[in-house]
Amino acid sequence: METTMHRVFRSRWWMPTFSVALGVAILVAAWAGGDPAFGVFGLGLMTALGAVFLLGGRSETLSGLGGPGRDERWEAIDLRATAGTGLVLICVVIGTWLWEIGHGHDGSPYSQLGAIAGVTYVVAVAILRWRS
Amino acid sequence: MRNDIRMLRDTAELSQGQLAEAMSVSRQTINSIETGRYTPSLPLAMALARFFDRAVEEIFHGDDDA
Repeated sequence: METTMHRVFRSRWWMPTFSVALGVAILVAAWAGGDPAFGVFGLGLMTALGAVFLLGGRSETLSGLGGPGRDERWEAIDLRATAGTGLVLICVVIGTWLWEIGHGHDGSPYSQLGAIAGVTYVVAVAILRWRS
Repeated sequence: MRNDIRMLRDTAELSQGQLAEAMSVSRQTINSIETGRYTPSLPLAMALARFFDRAVEEIFHGDDDA
């Protein structure tokens, strides 16, 4: 059954809009941080990325990443890719945390990131087990 | 998991794109199902079976089926 969320994520405008919105957020943050040139570069880059998604043509990868090609197979691909990405990220965070404390530092911010990831995973497993 | 989707589609003289449109999935997904690279969800398998007026087990075969 298609939900409103499905319709939003499968719209051809979803990823271009998200890209430009992220670009605007980069511009605002960079401007606030005193580096507007970086912000303009970030907005330009994200706008170009949004245009690639919008005008991606027949590429299944772009269509899936961009929204319109997101059927159940793509959602399975997306889920596995997200899990793989998360695993790599966690390994990097743990490795970098060990490197930091091995060099006499307190491990920040990797200790906090690792803790957030660990707690989030356990809570997610508990909720998903309860719901299934 | 093996299946008879390609044979049934050919018999019905449908293109992958036409079947994909009827199932609300991409043409690539139909191709992946036909080649056995993707096992569809139960709802999609049931929709395919209904579309071809067959039972699910008539279309999809486990690897250890005769």
